[in-house]
Amino acid sequence: MEICDVLVVGAGFGGPVAARKCAEAGLDTVLLERAAVPGEKVVSGLVIPFYGFTFGPDFIREGNPPIERPICKVVNRFVRHGEIYATDSTLRVPKPLVLGYAAYCKPFCTWLADRAVEAGAELRTSTTAVEPILEKGAVRGVVTDRGEEIRCKVLIDAGGTQNRLAIQAGLRRKYLPEALELYMIWDFEMAKEDVDETFGLSMEFFHALPEEGIGAPLGYGSTLYIFTYRESIHPGLGQFLVTRGEIPNLAGLLPRYFDNFQEKVTRWRRDIAPKARLRAVTWDVCPIYAGLIPETRNMPICGDGILVIGDAAGFEASAFGDGVPSAWFSAELAADVAIEALRRGDTSRSALAAYEDKVREHPYITWIITDWRRWDLRKVLVSGSDTELRRMIRDHWGIGAFRYRYSGRPLVKALREAMRRDPRAPLKWIEMFTRYYRNWEENRFDPLSVPGKETG
Amino acid sequence: MEIRTSDRFPGVEWVGDPGEFVRVDESRCDGCANCVRVCLAECFEIKNKKARVRSLAECMECAACWYVCDKEAVIFSWPPGGTGFRTDWG
Repeated sequence: MEICDVLVVGAGFGGPVAARKCAEAGLDTVLLERAAVPGEKVVSGLVIPFYGFTFGPDFIREGNPPIERPICKVVNRFVRHGEIYATDSTLRVPKPLVLGYAAYCKPFCTWLADRAVEAGAELRTSTTAVEPILEKGAVRGVVTDRGEEIRCKVLIDAGGTQNRLAIQAGLRRKYLPEALELYMIWDFEMAKEDVDETFGLSMEFFHALPEEGIGAPLGYGSTLYIFTYRESIHPGLGQFLVTRGEIPNLAGLLPRYFDNFQEKVTRWRRDIAPKARLRAVTWDVCPIYAGLIPETRNMPICGDGILVIGDAAGFEASAFGDGVPSAWFSAELAADVAIEALRRGDTSRSALAAYEDKVREHPYITWIITDWRRWDLRKVLVSGSDTELRRMIRDHWGIGAFRYRYSGRPLVKALREAMRRDPRAPLKWIEMFTRYYRNWEENRFDPLSVPGKETG
Repeated sequence: MEIRTSDRFPGVEWVGDPGEFVRVDESRCDGCANCVRVCLAECFEIKNKKARVRSLAECMECAACWYVCDKEAVIFSWPPGGTGFRTDWG
């Protein structure tokens, strides 16, 4: 039997960040991952927002992670009878600045896990944590699928949406279906020149009233989007597990929305489909509404010997991207608390409670999980008006989003804090945006311990 | 380990034997078919007014079935390390 200082369960986006920080602080750190290669079980239509990089871990900003495409513009298209009758592309920034970076999960998570290993963390892949070891209510480690006990002083639970450890430990309950969206993603190969010509550095959303049949009822899921990668595109869409009080027949609905889109929407049929070849179909469930439901939002994120981060803690949203920035932010906060707790030799619930305060004070996490604009779209559903739809989209996913106190304020707060810590921070950000852009142009990133994707 | 693919869902592989990582406790199941409705891989079927696992061959471990089962009849766990679903394109 072994006892490490910190056991991090899950090498997705958050786990490696926490593991790296703990290892850098000299702690004996083990990072467990159930997949053979980090990220190969992670599914996401992934554009990681800029603020994850600017306000997130230093090593990501200073490194050269594998990105697929800088995204400088959001194009909102409004569809009626298959035709685009209006377009809003007000939300844009000049390159090399970005709104976000598109990425595939496997190479990105592998890159992150490599950084944790580089700092001294021990990565154990193909290892499933089956249940926590509990002693007098305290979490003291996990039992693996091979029956092995890995004991620790602090467990950082980064097990993602379907995480069970914190539930088995009696800390949390499984998410309510109302808080979850099932989304389906289609990956299409497309020559880089074609992606460049058809989309440039933009991603597209296709908004329509429900009768169009190309997406979930407004307010009950993600509008059909196309994320653009280096030599591929990633259309996806999703719907709540509960829609108007019922469990919908998502097995039929989600594929049908996309079939309708491919059949009806001229933009797809004429400009995209002839150049695109289907390569993969995937799906997953994510807790992007967890913060909007009090029972889910108020579940504990720490206990005796355990800290919960990222999707496992419900830190996920859809308004301006996905859960990656909050996984990174919460990973760093949890690591700080674990390091301090171990320094003092107290890993009890009360010693770890500092994590709750840090999360609450963080300029972004609370905003990310409680952004009520996600539910506002339901008003459009009731009004059924095109004008209202366009206004809502402009205010929510267009430039209007930044006019508002609730999105402008966290940005200003985060900027102010970053500048206070380091007055040269903006120069570092510009250096990062420039270097990332050059990396993308030259298709040159840090080498990975495991190749990111098949070639040929 | 054995690697399987699916014609319906390209770009995904299923590795080794993940075992019965999703099960139905028939004594709790009321046959509401919520699990059937949300499963894109058609893992479930209703037989004699009870859900049962038909096949986990195309399961992507999303756990939608587990979340929509308010009778706690669907039992979801993670497959053993290194087995089950994987993709390069997630």
